[in-house]
Order: sequence, then structure tokens, then C-alpha cells
Amino acid sequence: MTKNARRASRNRADEAVVRATLRGHGSIDRAGSDLLHRWPVCVYNSGMRTSNIVIVAVTSLILVDARAAEPTSAAIDFSREILPILSDKCFVCHGPDTDEDVTLRLDSYEAATSDLGGYRAIDPDDPASSELVLRILSEDDPMPPAEAEKQLTDAEKRLLAQWVAQGGEYSQHWAFIPPKKRLPALPDGGDTQATINPIDWFVAAKQRGRSIDFAPEAAPETLARRASLTLCGLPPGPEELAEFLRDRRADAYERYVDRLLNKSSFGEHQARHWLDAVRYGDTHGLHLDNRRGVYPYRDWVVSSLNANLPLDDFITWQLAGDLLPDPGVEQLVATGYVRMNPTSGEGGAIEAEYQAKNNFDRTENLGAVLLGMTLTCARCHTHKYDPVPQTEYYRLMAFFNSTSEPALDRNKYDYGPTTKAPSDQSQWARWRLLNDRLGQLIHAATDELSDAAVVADRNAWADATDREKLEALADPDSPFSSLSVHTEATLLSLELESLEQGFTTTLVAKDLPTPRPTHVLSRGEYNRPIGDPLEPGVLTAMGDFPEGAPRNRLGLAQWLTSPSHPTVARVLINRVWQHTFGHGLVRTPEDFGLQGAYPTHPDLLDWLAVELQESGWDLKHMLRMMVTSRTFRQSSAWREDVDDPENRLWSRGPSYRLDAEVIRDIGLWSGNLLDPMMGGEGVKPYQPAGMWQALAHPASNTKKYERDHGQRLYRRSLYVYWKRTSPHPMMTLFDAPDRETSCVRRSRTSTALQSLALLNETQRIEMARMLGQRLMLQRSDVSSRMDLLFRLLASRGPSQTEAEAFEELLQKMLQRYRGNVDDARALLSIGDIARDESLDPAEHAAWTQVALTLLASDLAIILY
Amino acid sequence: MNFLETLHRQQLATTRRQLFGRTALGLGTASMAGLLGDELSAAGTNASTLGGGLHHLPKAKRVIYLFMSGGPSQHDLWDYKPKLADMFGEQLPAEVRDGQRITGMTANQKSGLPLCPSKYKFTKHDNNQDGVWISELLPHTAKVARELCVVHSTFTEAINHDPAVTYIQTGSQIAGRPSLGAWLSYGLGSMNEDLPHYVVMHAHSKYAEQSLFNRLWGPGFLPADHQGMLLRSGGDPVLYLSNPPGVTSSDRRDQLDALAAINQEQHRHFGNPEILARIKQHEMAYRMQTSVPELMDFSSESESTFELYGEEARTPGTFAACCLNARRLAERGVRNIQIFHRGWDAHNRLPTEHESQCKDIDQGCAALVHDLRQRGMLDDTLVIWGGEFGRTVYCQGNLTRENYGRDHHPRCFTVWMAGGGVKAGITYGRTDDYGYNIVNADGSPMIPRPEKEHWTPGTMHIHDLNATILHLLGIDHRKLTYRYQGRDFRLTDVDGHVMHDLIA
Repeated sequence: MTKNARRASRNRADEAVVRATLRGHGSIDRAGSDLLHRWPVCVYNSGMRTSNIVIVAVTSLILVDARAAEPTSAAIDFSREILPILSDKCFVCHGPDTDEDVTLRLDSYEAATSDLGGYRAIDPDDPASSELVLRILSEDDPMPPAEAEKQLTDAEKRLLAQWVAQGGEYSQHWAFIPPKKRLPALPDGGDTQATINPIDWFVAAKQRGRSIDFAPEAAPETLARRASLTLCGLPPGPEELAEFLRDRRADAYERYVDRLLNKSSFGEHQARHWLDAVRYGDTHGLHLDNRRGVYPYRDWVVSSLNANLPLDDFITWQLAGDLLPDPGVEQLVATGYVRMNPTSGEGGAIEAEYQAKNNFDRTENLGAVLLGMTLTCARCHTHKYDPVPQTEYYRLMAFFNSTSEPALDRNKYDYGPTTKAPSDQSQWARWRLLNDRLGQLIHAATDELSDAAVVADRNAWADATDREKLEALADPDSPFSSLSVHTEATLLSLELESLEQGFTTTLVAKDLPTPRPTHVLSRGEYNRPIGDPLEPGVLTAMGDFPEGAPRNRLGLAQWLTSPSHPTVARVLINRVWQHTFGHGLVRTPEDFGLQGAYPTHPDLLDWLAVELQESGWDLKHMLRMMVTSRTFRQSSAWREDVDDPENRLWSRGPSYRLDAEVIRDIGLWSGNLLDPMMGGEGVKPYQPAGMWQALAHPASNTKKYERDHGQRLYRRSLYVYWKRTSPHPMMTLFDAPDRETSCVRRSRTSTALQSLALLNETQRIEMARMLGQRLMLQRSDVSSRMDLLFRLLASRGPSQTEAEAFEELLQKMLQRYRGNVDDARALLSIGDIARDESLDPAEHAAWTQVALTLLASDLAIILY
Repeated sequence: MNFLETLHRQQLATTRRQLFGRTALGLGTASMAGLLGDELSAAGTNASTLGGGLHHLPKAKRVIYLFMSGGPSQHDLWDYKPKLADMFGEQLPAEVRDGQRITGMTANQKSGLPLCPSKYKFTKHDNNQDGVWISELLPHTAKVARELCVVHSTFTEAINHDPAVTYIQTGSQIAGRPSLGAWLSYGLGSMNEDLPHYVVMHAHSKYAEQSLFNRLWGPGFLPADHQGMLLRSGGDPVLYLSNPPGVTSSDRRDQLDALAAINQEQHRHFGNPEILARIKQHEMAYRMQTSVPELMDFSSESESTFELYGEEARTPGTFAACCLNARRLAERGVRNIQIFHRGWDAHNRLPTEHESQCKDIDQGCAALVHDLRQRGMLDDTLVIWGGEFGRTVYCQGNLTRENYGRDHHPRCFTVWMAGGGVKAGITYGRTDDYGYNIVNADGSPMIPRPEKEHWTPGTMHIHDLNATILHLLGIDHRKLTYRYQGRDFRLTDVDGHVMHDLIA
């Protein structure tokens, strides 16, 4: 049956429905007028042709169910209300990836309003006869078809019909329009505006629309803990806390925040979020899951964040540091990002297959981390929802298809191109120092050379790199050795050489002299290329490739960081917001596409995105603005006067269970155990025996977990060795990802296994013992020890109830361990550090138990 | 209603909304069983009215998956090819291979692709049809032939271990998707308050020569509490289960009481319902400290149990002990049990390795099926046995009558199921005389190409297997979805066909 025939036949059937409906309702006018004010689609219904009456009739059935939802005649926001429905329910057949035999596409106004042979899906001239509306309401020939997995809800049908009634206009999906700053009107107005944090303008504007206000500000102690955990991942020390509480200046909190932003623990904490996103791991991830050498990349991320490297450079160096003119060690190390995909060295694996797989992985990681778009669909076919044609996917992939490392890792630590890099932060610091000296020295030498008295080849000098100049200056046989800096050059050259001997190798990106040809792969199968080789290119829905930019990863980075790119700044700032406030403004941080969530505060998101760019991609500036906002400083207690469990109005402060790493770090820190050393190869704290062995291939060099000794047991959790097929259980039990794939939003679960881990794991016991020891050594009586314990973990003293509960626990434990000192000694012997023999074992054991309990409580493991 | 109750209700309402929001139509109620615990799901939701199922009445309440990692040889265990006996050492005909890609290990070997008949004797055992051929390597399993539904036409596309194991256990060759077990946990939740609902064991093997990965029982993008809990044979059976030395159960009780007092105070102040959820988990942990040791203590098992499972079952970590444990877990209401046994990747000395491997597993498999039957539990317990792919009919390495190796073969392999609503005592699917390609019932060639919703009768793609497992447990594989990265993902991706031919 042709479409028109089917349509005619359906209309005949519909007439019967209409007649039946007429009988039921008495008169059409009554039926119609009853509905008119509830459903504006009928307003257009002056002609009242057969099909239109059907709408009324069928609609009445819907309205019975939909009555609860308030009907509205307000203008419908296509991007927010309609596009998600079309995308989720219709595009699978009528979207960008439409089969050739389907003539109708609904992903553009032009397509939706085109003539389908005497009728249109959307008929702007006569909306009520729009086929789209007829079909979604039709009972005998419905769309989506009855057998479709996804059906429209009645509310969605109503929305679609209303939208068509209002003209069925399309607009671009919000995330593909470059952001602009649009400030909401502030009721207060006037000069107060200058003193209000812009974030609060947006939040207040929406809150006031609902007649609510900000929650009261959190207690200063709570706020100090919150800001410190948010920015640095550790609570404030007792001294820092006291200093902040003593500070009576109006900007005491802002000063406190600045101190936090300048701590080196800031970069360590913020780096974790990035490392989750880019799937940083210390092993290959597949097959043998052997060691790989790329940890200098991790250390570079930490120091870049501490140095507040502008985020556009941060991105550019990672994607294309090797393609910058005369790249330095840092730029090269940063390209470890390109090498971060899991790799295999499985015997028998087909090289070409893994070449494709590795490239898919890198392309899709870029999608999730920077574009905010899941691209995986487009590997096999044009994206079902988002405007990503399959060809564009492969064009994007082509940027990565020319890197020179082999597709299979041969199970080697340093496969493919590597560079020598500092092996920990102290080496990095020394290296930077020497490089500063080098810069000054070259500068002085260049000045001296401009003096005509020195005879040397100035052209050769100008062309040389700094290191070549240094060698020339240090070489006693070179003409440059006559310069006054010769001795200093000799010394510096030796120092650099000796430092570099301690360097390690790290995986980097390097392009082949001739790029590999990239083809579209049919269904994503490596051995089914189609068509001519593609030139590297970008997703056109997100703006054009910058004019004159090179068609390589550097050009790609320029596209991503250009002010007109619609998503990159939004995606980045949304994740910064998420890590600060607990949830993103877009609650699907990995997906800003048509299937993603609409922002809770779109104008705020856009404002922040533009501010990020205008500030010179200044992360610390953005974080400072966020944590000093009134929005952040509110009490996090749930409010009786606001029905907003998901905090979509941001009407209370952030509160969530802390990340695995933070939970462990707090324990180490409170027991004075945290080793301040930064960077270096991953560390291996205590781990139950046999966990790696139980999974590993016998030939794997990570089959046996050999735990560390000494200080390495107590390093920050950021540095815990990340074996991708079996990360440390204290990490995964608390929702840390495996880093085989990108993770931009961790789940936050509560499980019984977490409880067991908090109270029984070796390192937790050792931390608690050291914390107990600290309390006993630093305070002399029970109440001041309790005070310090609570102050360390909750940044405040105990309430009366808390003190009573814990003093009761202490007494029980004292009694029990005094009666059985062997048990006390057994408990105190857990962990490598010897117990302090000067302390009474029963008392120490009791305090250990008390500390262990508070460390496991929601006072310690929750942000509030 | 006081403030706390209001908050608590708000939270439940939220969770409902989130569930409805992120899952396909009508799924919310069901998955709530997994997220909010039985107490809530009992309050008039689908899961309770559907006898524990999610979309329809389930045939099985629980599943025990015996996963043979590495790829057991169907040629030497299940798929009897008598005509090969006369073709020893001949080259595999090109038309049989039909352009099939083969791994780098045998693609270029000097000996080519010499045919390699099995050295093992096959016997036909009675089942509920005209019998099933089983090799002498599985004498115990042969005794439960009447219970088995043996599928010779299982197939996959992956040809290397890592992608193939990841494919069959997570529905995708690329890491990152939730495992089968995590999907079941998400969809069905728990039947037991004292034990986690998804338990994974690793059985010992002398030839454990492939890796396993956390992702095979991992949650992927599902909330992390849906990951499988490893029940270990050495040290604490559950990570961090035991109190440290010098800490008794009564000490722990005191600690938990103080902890609850603090947390309740915290909740009074902040009203965050997650705090209450955490108090519940601390209590469950405390109960597990009793229930897990009780589970692992076989002293209450009778002598006849050890006659059935073999003396090896007394040694923790053996496959037999894992099977006995699986039965004990099933008795305690654990829904979802997996045993991983490695060592099946027989590239070079298949006879030595497979003899050892079969000895490891044979009695345990048979005992488990028999034991579940005699306890009246087999009808609602689905048992599955199989690996990630099969092995080649041609030899890898040196071929002699006594020793040979076999490479990876994705085009057909044998999987069996028992109980849980599958037809007992049948075989399904046929392969050609080479055991290379799946053929139609009349022996004519058939090469399935699983594109779009395509399914070829007589075959069982691994997506079909997974769809069938879900179906038997009361889940429609097309409806159990989770929104991630803008897409509603499911275990079977865009494929999967419920194997109604196999269902009783």
C-alpha cells in the first residue's frame, strides 16, 4: 500500500471513530470547546476537517491521563522540550541516519515541512493537518509503530502537538550554538550588582522565580572544611583552621581560598578528575596488562594545574605538543594524552584491527572529554541522534591515524616513541630551575655576542637551540668559549647532564612522515574500508576548521580552543562546576548532545564558559569565583521549605560522599602519615595477597603485587599504582573507575563492602593507630583529645551527643583492652610502623578503635 | 509526618524519578528492586508480582555460570566428527575456510592448516532425543546428559581472548560496558539480606594461561554496587571481611553503635537520606561477618556430598569446591553466581592440558547439576557451561596422532545449559563435517551474518545466548536499558534473539 493509499484508508477508519465520538460527546462543539482551552492545537482548527476532528477525539482519551500535568499555552522551547523527544523517540528511523527507503527526516525544519506527496509531516500553513500529529495520535496506524521499543508518553504527544500548533519551528540544539554572556535582570539592581558574585545572579534569579531564597551560610568551620576538601582534597589543618577562624577581616574567606589555591595539594587533587577523564593508567590495559611508562604525564598534569597553565594550552600541549615549534620536554610529555588508550600485545592479534581500535578509542575519548559528545555510534553508521555523519567521524579519527607507534604494544614498557623526562616533581623543579638559568645564560651570551668585539658565527648561533648554544658555550674548543659565561655554561651543562641521567622514559606522540590513509570503515570493521582516503577534518556541527590551520593534531587543537567552538569551554566548565558543587549544571557531563540533559541554568553555564575563555582559560580564577559564591557557601542541610531533592535550584550547599582517594588521604593525613613527596612511579600500598595473581597471565609482569615499604606506603592516593585490569581495591570499592575507558562522572554508592573496608583494611587500622597516638601525645585529657579528633576530621569539636557516644565507646574499649592486653598489642601491631612503646597499649588500642570509628563515620567521609 | 520522614520520602520519590528518567518506559519499578532493596520492591511493584522477574514471569530464579576461559575445544569434548579420522594431516579446504580471518599465530605457519582429528573416543549418551555424543574426557558430565541442552552452533566474531571474553561477558568487545552479572543485579536485585546478590569465584587451574579482568564482573557505567563480589579461596573470602587481630565481634558491635549514633546525629542535622542508607550498609556488613564464614564452612555437608563432588571439593579454590559453594550460595538466595576456570587456551599441547582441565571440572559440573536436581532446585536454577570461542579443526604447531594444538575459532563452539527452564536432554545446531562452519539441519552450508535484527535458525550468537539468559530470568533484553552518554545501552547492544527453541 502506498503512503497516500494508507492515509486515505486510515482517514476512512478515522471517520468511524469520529462518528462514535460524536455520539459519546453529544455534539462536536461541546467536545471541541471543552478541549480548546486545554489544548491549543484546536485553535487552528477553523475548518474542522475530518482528520482534525479525529485529533480532538483521540486527544480526549489522552487528556484523561494527562490531566495532572498543567497544560500551558506558553511558547514551547524547541531545543529544551521538543528536540529531546524527537531525538529519543523518532530519530532512530527519521534522524540523521535515515535509511534510504525512509523518505521522511525530522531532524530539520526543511525536511519536516517538505511535501510528501500532498501532505507534510509538519504543515506550517495548516498545522492541524500535519501528518506528524495525525500519526502520533492515530490508534490504527500509530507512530512510533506499536512494536517500537520506545513509545511516546501522552505528555510527549501533547507537547509535540502543541509545538506543531505553534508553527513547528526548529532551532539549533543549544549546545551547538556558541555560548554568549547574558546576565539576568537582578531585582536589587543598582550598585549592589558590582559586589555580587555573578554566579549568584543566575542562581538567585531562578530561585526567586520559585519564591525561595538561598539557604543560610554554612558555619565557618564547615565552610573551611568544604572549601579545602573541594580545592585540595584534604581538610584544613588545625592551625590553618584556627587562623581562618581568627581572621576578622571582611575578606577572610577569600584570603583563605587564595591560600588553598596556592597549595601544591591543589594540583594533586584537581589532576585526579582529569586523569579519570583521559583514562590514565600505569599498565597497557589489555591482554598481559604489562607495565607502561607514562607517569611523567601524570606529574605534568599536576604541575600544570598548580602553575595554572591556561586550559587552552593545557589542551593544545596534550593533543599536539610535539607539533609546536621547538617543543620542550613539557610539551612532549603532555602528548602522553594521545598515547593513553589501552593497548594490547596479544599474540595473534591483527595489527590493522588494533590500529583501528586504538584510533576509535582516541577519537571517542576526545568526544567524551572535550566535545561532550558520544561519538561511538558514528563508528558504524551516521549518528542516530546527533549531527555526526559517519564520514566526519572518520575525518576526525584521521588526526590520530598518523601517529608512529605500532598498533600492538609488544607488551613493552616503552613501546613507540618516548622522550626522557624528569621522574618526579623534585626533578621537575630542579629541571625548571636549571632551565631558567639556561635562559638567563643564553640571554647574557646573546647580548655579549652583539658586541662586535666577539668573533663568532652569529648565524649559526641564531639557528641553534638553547641546548646547542649551551654546549657551544661550554665547549673549550668552540669559538664561543671566549665568552664570559663559559665557566657558568660548563657548570650548567654538567648539572643538566647529571640531572638528566636520572630521567625516565615516557610515551609521547609523534607523527609519521607520511600520514596513513584513513577511510570510512563499513560497520566499523577494520578490513572493510570504503571510498577514497579522507582528509583530517572536524565535526561541522561544531564550527568550521580554522582557516589556515594545519591539517594535523595542532590544527585540531586550534579548532577546539577557538572562541567560536560551541562545546569545549562549556564541557570543561561544567565538569569544574560538578567537582565543586557535586553535580554538573548539565547532569550528563559526558553528553551535551541531543540525548543529554538540558542545563539546570543554561545562561549560567554559558556565562561561565565565556568567562573561562575571556579570563585566558584561567582555571583558578573560575574556581575562586565558584567557591566564594553564595551558592557554594550555603548550608548543605536539606530544607523543609524547598522540594528539590536533586538540588537543581542549587538552594543548598554541596554534599556528597568523598572520592576513594580523598577518603584514604584524610586518614593518612590525620595520622600524620602522609608523605609529602610528589610524583614518580606509582606506589603500592598494602593489598590483600593474591589479587593480581588470581587474574593475571603467567607471562605478565604485573602478575605479582609486591607492596612497597617505608614512605611509599603513605603517599597520596593519586600516586597509587593503577593496574587497569585490577586497580587497588580500596579505590574500586569506593567507585574509582578502572581507567580502561573515560570516566567524567563517578558513581557514588554505599555498600556493605565499603563498611568492611573502612573498618578492617590494614592501612585504615594503621592510620587509626597513628591518629590515636597523635591524640595521646598532643593532648593530655579525654575531652581535649576528643576535641582534636573531631577537629581534624570534621573541622569542629564534638557535639554533646557525639562526645557522649564516643566517650562511652572509649570507656568500653579501655575496659576491654585493660582486661586483655594481648588483644591490644595484636591490634597495635598492624601496619609496618612500629608502635610507640611509651604509650600504654590498652589505652592506645582504645584510642585506635575510637579513631577508626570516627574515620569511618559520615563526619569524615562526607562533604557537607 | 515529621521532617525526617518527609525527607526520606522525598528521597525515595527522587530515586523513582531518576529511575524513570533514565530507563526506558516501565522499567523504573523493576530496577528499583536492585537499587532500593527488597523492602521497597515488595510494595506492589512488578518484581514482586512477576515472581522475581522484571518483565514477565521468570523460569529461573538464579543463574550459575561456569565460564571456561580460554576457549575449550569443542572437537575434543562435544562436537563429534568421525569423518575427520580419515583426513589426518590433510589441508583444510579453502572453500570450508571461506575467507575466514585467522589469527596471526596460524595465518602463516609453514605446515598450513592441517586437519587434526580428535584423539579422544566419543560415546553416544542417552538424552531426551536421539542421544548426545560426549568424549571420554567428560565421563561425569556424560552421566547428566539427560539434563543438558547442548548447543553446538554458538558463535562469535572475536578471535582474540581479551575482546572475545569481554564480548561474551559484557556484550561488547571494547571494555567499558557492564557485565552480564551487573545487568542482572541492576535488573533483579537481591533475594538475600545477608549476602551480596552477585558472587564471582575463580577456580584453580594448572594451566591458567590467560588473563581475567575486573571488567568481566564489573559494573561498567552502572552504579558500582552492581559489580560482582569476589569470593576468594585464600585469605578473607570477601575482601576485608575479618576483624583485625585484637578486635572481637562484640568490639565491632560497640563500634557500630557509636558509629550509628554519630551518623544519626549527622542525619538529624543535615537530613541527607544517603546517611540512613549508609547506616543500613554498616549493619549488612556486620551480618556478612557471620553469614560468609557460615557459607564457607563445609563441615555441615554430609559425606555423600563429597562423594558426589569428589574429595577435591574439600580443598578451597578447586573447581569442585567452587561448585559446592555455588550450590550453597544458591540455597541462600544468591541470584547470580559465576565461576571462572582458566587454562583452556590449548595452542600447542592440547591433550595434556585438556585432560588436566577436564579432570578439574568434570565431576564438579556433573555434581552441581545432579545436586541441584536432587534438592529440587534445578528447575529454577539456570546452569551454563562454556567459553568465549571454540578451537580450530586444524592444528597449530606440530601435528601428531598423540599431540597437537588448536588455535582460536569463533565460527562455532559448544555451550551447554541445564535447568532454569531450558529443554533438558537435547542438542541444538549442527556443524559441517569439519566442525568449522554451522550448517542447516540438512547439512547444507549456512554462514550467519548477524546484521541488524538478523537471526538464523539453528544458530546461537553470543548475543542470543545472553538474550536467552535474561529471558529465562524474567527480563526482556530489549527493555533492560541504562542511559549513558546519551544512549540507552543494553547487554545485547542492537542484537539478540531469545532462543525459544531451547526453552521448555
